[in-house]
Amino acid sequence: MTQPVHADVETGAPLPEEPPPQVRLTPRQWMEQNLFGTWYDTVLTVVFGIGIGVVVFFGLRFILVTARWEIIRVGLTSLMVGLFPRPELWRVWVALFVIVLSIGFAVGGARRMVLAEEEDEAGSEAEGLGLRPRVDLWDLWRRLWPVLTFLAVILGFSESLQTALWLVLLLVGTYATYYIGSRLPRSAARYWLLAGLVGMVGAFGIVIWFGGVGWDQWGGLMLTLFLAVAAILLSFPLGVGAALGRRSSLPGISLVSVAYIELIRGVPLITLLLTGQLMLGLFFPRDVVPGLVVRSIIMLTLFTGAYVAEIVRGGLQGVPQGQYEAAQALGLSPTQMTRRIVLPQALRNVIPAMVGQFISLFKDTSLVSVIALTDLLRVARFQLPAQGDFAGQGLFAETMLFAGFVYWVFAYTMSRESQRLERRLGVGER
Amino acid sequence: MSDTSTRDLTSSASQAGGTGAPMITMEDVDKYFGDFQALKDIDLVVGKQEVVVVIGPSGSGKSTMIRCINRLEKHDQGRIVVDGVEMSDDLRNIQEIRREVGMVFQSFNLFPHLTVLENVTLAPRQVRRWPKAKCEEVAMETLERVRIPEQAPKYPAQLSGGQQQRVAIARALAMQPKVMLFDEPTSALDPEMIKEVLDAMEELAESGMTMIVVTHEMGFARAVADRVVFMSDGQIVEVGTPEHFFTNPEEDRTKLFLSQIL
Repeated sequence: MTQPVHADVETGAPLPEEPPPQVRLTPRQWMEQNLFGTWYDTVLTVVFGIGIGVVVFFGLRFILVTARWEIIRVGLTSLMVGLFPRPELWRVWVALFVIVLSIGFAVGGARRMVLAEEEDEAGSEAEGLGLRPRVDLWDLWRRLWPVLTFLAVILGFSESLQTALWLVLLLVGTYATYYIGSRLPRSAARYWLLAGLVGMVGAFGIVIWFGGVGWDQWGGLMLTLFLAVAAILLSFPLGVGAALGRRSSLPGISLVSVAYIELIRGVPLITLLLTGQLMLGLFFPRDVVPGLVVRSIIMLTLFTGAYVAEIVRGGLQGVPQGQYEAAQALGLSPTQMTRRIVLPQALRNVIPAMVGQFISLFKDTSLVSVIALTDLLRVARFQLPAQGDFAGQGLFAETMLFAGFVYWVFAYTMSRESQRLERRLGVGER
Repeated sequence: MSDTSTRDLTSSASQAGGTGAPMITMEDVDKYFGDFQALKDIDLVVGKQEVVVVIGPSGSGKSTMIRCINRLEKHDQGRIVVDGVEMSDDLRNIQEIRREVGMVFQSFNLFPHLTVLENVTLAPRQVRRWPKAKCEEVAMETLERVRIPEQAPKYPAQLSGGQQQRVAIARALAMQPKVMLFDEPTSALDPEMIKEVLDAMEELAESGMTMIVVTHEMGFARAVADRVVFMSDGQIVEVGTPEHFFTNPEEDRTKLFLSQIL
């Protein structure tokens, strides 16, 4: 067989490499190959096909036909905010707007900074509105479809046109701020994180200050999110501190760190929460005992912090010795070395494990339903099905399905965003 | 017999090479790893602007010796003096020495989460505390010196091995040290990239930097070194100029080693 020619016959210049030929299967061919290839493939396909079919059939039948979704329709506000005083509900709406708009702005600003990095690498100087790629709607959909589906479901269950209008306005407003944020000049977009944080604090203040409603009266999804966010934000520095403390050469610090980590890790979260409810108050002077919400946050934080510490410890062990040596050889102090060289690498490598821990934490907040805090689960499991017309009818499937869906939306979004972050930071690549 | 002749040679080491007061003095240095003695009676004086190349079989203590100079290893006995500052256990003293001693590693050890420019500007900014503009200016100068200024916005993973090592050299140079230590800088490189790194090191030597280089590149030693130091089993066996060393070695161990590698 003659050698294939890889040069242009006229000029003798080498031809560009062709990609390997791609085999494209028709759907039928694909099914034949993958589902019915061998006899046991066929058997498995039939068995699982029937199984899946049954589950889907009964599931859809329940969701679309048998379920009594009025309970969700009636109890939607309770599921969202628990026993929050209804006359003050406007605060929640305003706060929601502020938070979501500032998050939209922050995400847009962050995207602008990512694009700025790519501009730097390409060496281009374009800063004006000219060369920016269009904000990709399809990309946003792929990124946010769980959240958007969630909003659609809420819309479907909302009783008033007003709610529907507000939600639509929320959506449009968020996209608008995202758009603006991603179009800002670099000098402004740099403060995206600050903007996001200011927005969160502002929203928080709107609900609490100026004769507002303290968090001991919050409930439903609002309380769940508050507990989760607070515990995540507080447990992160605690965990990092404990991990570093464990490695400290000062015996006092390392002893305290090890004791904290090993004691807390040996105890189930539910017992910690019960301790928070029943015993923690004894540690405070009589007048300053914090409310149950704060005590729960303390316990959630202590619990998660210990696990974060071990995750970070693993990450620290993964930083090569050469990095320490190079930093020391340059004259960096131990603090500078930890802060600028070791920790950034350690934390980058453990993002999957850490976010996994935070997702667990978010779902574990449901345990506060056992200590009489009216979180999303408590409303769904105990309150709604016992209320008014629905009492005694055992409509747990509907409420639990709904609650499960809500937990899934947030957990899945966190998971996806963390994978995005990993890709951006080159985890596992550089 | 070997003991006295070694001492004679190393005392000639204290006089040979360099200009003016010595830059580095190692006196009677011993180092143990547990029971194993890695360095025995090390006596070495390196003068200003002198280029000393250290060669020897693996396990001879070459890397350990230069790592003692910037305290990446702690010597157990003896004195080490760098530019008039005697090394002690005090962290501030050690950091003072490390500021003036730059080091280039076999495995580059660039910081992967920072761009090339950030890698080079980090230490001047944090340790010398220069303003950001000056750091970047100095960084770009050193990158130009090693001939890769255009790589500044990239991440180390995007560079070839030779480029990464040159960034490592630039990173050490940006601190404007008085001494540069090289620990087998080309041993981890593909052959076609060794030349570009050796060229950068040669240019550095010609510009008057005091250098101690641990290497297996005999061509470099012959061309660039002021003195060659041969180590074996933790001891300095022979010291001499490249001409003396490669054409007329005195010690048997030296002759054996050279016969194996040349």
